Amino acid sequence: MTAATLIAFRDVDLAFGDHLVLGKLTFEIHEGEIVCIVGPSGCGKTTALRVAAGLIAPTRGEIAFAGAPVRGPRRDVAIVFQDYSKALLPWRTAAGNVSLALEALGTPRSERPKRIAALLKRVGLPRHADKFPSQLSGGMQQRLQIARCLAQEPAALMMDEPFGALDAMTRQTLQDEMLEIARATKATIFFVTHDLEEAIYLGDRVIGLMPHPGRIGIELKIDLPRPRNQVTTRESPEFLRLRHKLYDFIHASEKGEAA
Amino acid sequence: MKALKALALPAALVVLAEIGARAAAPSDSVAPPSEVAAAFVQALADGSLVTATRDTLMSAFAGLAIGASLGLMTGILLGSLNVLDRLMELPLELLRPIPSVAVIPIALVALGFGYRLEIVIVAFACFWPLLILSRAAVDGVEPRLIEVSRALRLTPLQRTVKIVAPAVLPRVFVAFRLAAGISLIVAVTVEIAVNPQGLGYEVMTAGQALRPDLMLAYVLWIGIVGFAFNAGLVFAQRRLFGQAARVEAAR
Amino acid sequence: MKALAWRFGGLAVVAVMIALWGEIAALKLVSPVFLPAPARAWTALWQGFAHADLAAKLFGTIRHMIGGWLVASFFGVALGALVGSSKAAREYVAPTLEFLRPLPASAVIPVAIAMFGLTPQMALGVIGFGSIWPALLASVHGFAAVEPRLLEVERALGLSRWQGIAKISLPSATPDILSGLRLGLTVSLILAVVCEMIAGLDGLGQWVLLAARAYKSADIFAGVILLGAIGFVANASLGLIEARTLRWRGRRTG
Repeated sequence: MTAATLIAFRDVDLAFGDHLVLGKLTFEIHEGEIVCIVGPSGCGKTTALRVAAGLIAPTRGEIAFAGAPVRGPRRDVAIVFQDYSKALLPWRTAAGNVSLALEALGTPRSERPKRIAALLKRVGLPRHADKFPSQLSGGMQQRLQIARCLAQEPAALMMDEPFGALDAMTRQTLQDEMLEIARATKATIFFVTHDLEEAIYLGDRVIGLMPHPGRIGIELKIDLPRPRNQVTTRESPEFLRLRHKLYDFIHASEKGEAA
Repeated sequence: MKALKALALPAALVVLAEIGARAAAPSDSVAPPSEVAAAFVQALADGSLVTATRDTLMSAFAGLAIGASLGLMTGILLGSLNVLDRLMELPLELLRPIPSVAVIPIALVALGFGYRLEIVIVAFACFWPLLILSRAAVDGVEPRLIEVSRALRLTPLQRTVKIVAPAVLPRVFVAFRLAAGISLIVAVTVEIAVNPQGLGYEVMTAGQALRPDLMLAYVLWIGIVGFAFNAGLVFAQRRLFGQAARVEAAR
Repeated sequence: MKALAWRFGGLAVVAVMIALWGEIAALKLVSPVFLPAPARAWTALWQGFAHADLAAKLFGTIRHMIGGWLVASFFGVALGALVGSSKAAREYVAPTLEFLRPLPASAVIPVAIAMFGLTPQMALGVIGFGSIWPALLASVHGFAAVEPRLLEVERALGLSRWQGIAKISLPSATPDILSGLRLGLTVSLILAVVCEMIAGLDGLGQWVLLAARAYKSADIFAGVILLGAIGFVANASLGLIEARTLRWRGRRTG
């Protein structure tokens, strides 16, 4: 039984001036799915995410969210940016930053402290409510951004290389935390990354884009069992097989690029 | 295209001023741009504009030269000698907030009207930005370079000339640009307040003679001189320091 | 602890400088006509408060300075917000602002006199005109330089236009605005003094000029000391407000 389609790209073109970044991009993401987009630099994966989030309008083609055409950012779609320090308000505390989302939603004042506390607890920052972003480590800042996104109670999370700027240990911790959040909230996740292993580890499906213009080059169904485990999953033969396939694809498309 | 957009607002204002001033005529305080332009040409022709400009600029430059060089030397001294810097922090903090115009009466009593009065006030005003910014510039010299100078066993003089001076030059030039703007403003202000010479005095005289066209012509001219002076210095900065100072040139 | 020691050292230097001043005056190295002994300047200060209207003059200057500055700052920030947040507005308006920036505000004093006469309104107009520029320019810069990522967050969260300005653009522009306000206060003090000198308005500018005309150097110095004090307190107060408002900056600047 396939879940309903939440996000649909149909023949999407995106051009910046004369430069065609995305060409006839077509794919679907279903409710509750975690779909990871990978590809060589410049293939347009971040652009695809921004189009899906409603930040940019496509030049041609259509993006639909829950059946309706996407005309701009939606309240029930949360975006997690890679440069977390720039996406947080430096003059507000952690609690204040989460509060921003609640203020936008019009949540009554009396309810806010409770919800903020719960969200900070969910991302593992319960004792840092009164700290400013400049006092938090990189990993904690990214968690804070995720907390703010979760405050929107989003149907879909758009995550643009969210763990790319973090060290390996923090990255692994946050990967598992993200999977736990996804399981608990049943949110749909559109995850862009250049880390192939991360993509396979996290995703239900991995889509690889080929550059110039960005279009689907490969689509892999990830049948690895959940819950995933940083050690055992990554060692399993199926994981290694998928990884091999993905590496070959990237290699080939990069080479084809140089030609 | 950008140039056209930039001129759109001033052009519109000039047209509005022309219509408005003619409608409100006769007046002691406003004059249509056409008459202002005529008065400007007249003042240029009979030499009064040139004389006044010369007087103001001479005082401004002299004061700038004196104040800036004193400020620069003191700033480098304080930036290099930590003990002196810490000791002088309080005295300078107390002297700095004195507005330059407050010194006018003291200088007036000592020197009377004329060039010296203006030069002293301008020097006082230009001293501070150079002091503060050159001190900060010396403070901000890459410590690694100081270590290099020690490794090479340079004398303090050699170190200052060969390493500190070139390193702080871009920021010092920006401070100098700031002081240059201040020098013109202060010179004109002294002339408006007390000193019977220069562009500021001409503006006051024209106002008192109920010649709004001449008065506005001088005000406009002062603006042009200030703008040209600053633009000239920005140009010089780009030529001399190129990439290094481009960040700070965006002032 | 060490910082306190240096503060005392600084005080010692100030004491030495005053002593030096006293010596130069006593030895009459500089004519007492324009360099009074420190003791005389101090006496003139207290005498001025006790027997003359120095206090009234002091408050006169403060009133002129603050009144013009407050009004100008409000309009400067508001206007700057409008211009700074709109790219189109910036392209049309910014070049004109750049041209007007080096213009000495004191140059409009004669125009203001022609319009309003030698009145307090004239002073208010001049001070307002002079102190609006730093606030306006700083505000334009602050609003134009809001982190683009935050503007995207604003869109992503669905904040309304006003919510965005109040919760994101304004706090982001605050550091710039505060430094513009500080500069504006310095300008307003200078213009207040000049207007008082020219128009004979009740203030320290008038006090020191009259003292100069009467060759009363002690009175001049008393007035200058008070002007320095005003400048010092004004700057320090704003500096304190800046430090409290910007304590989120932390040890590293963004």
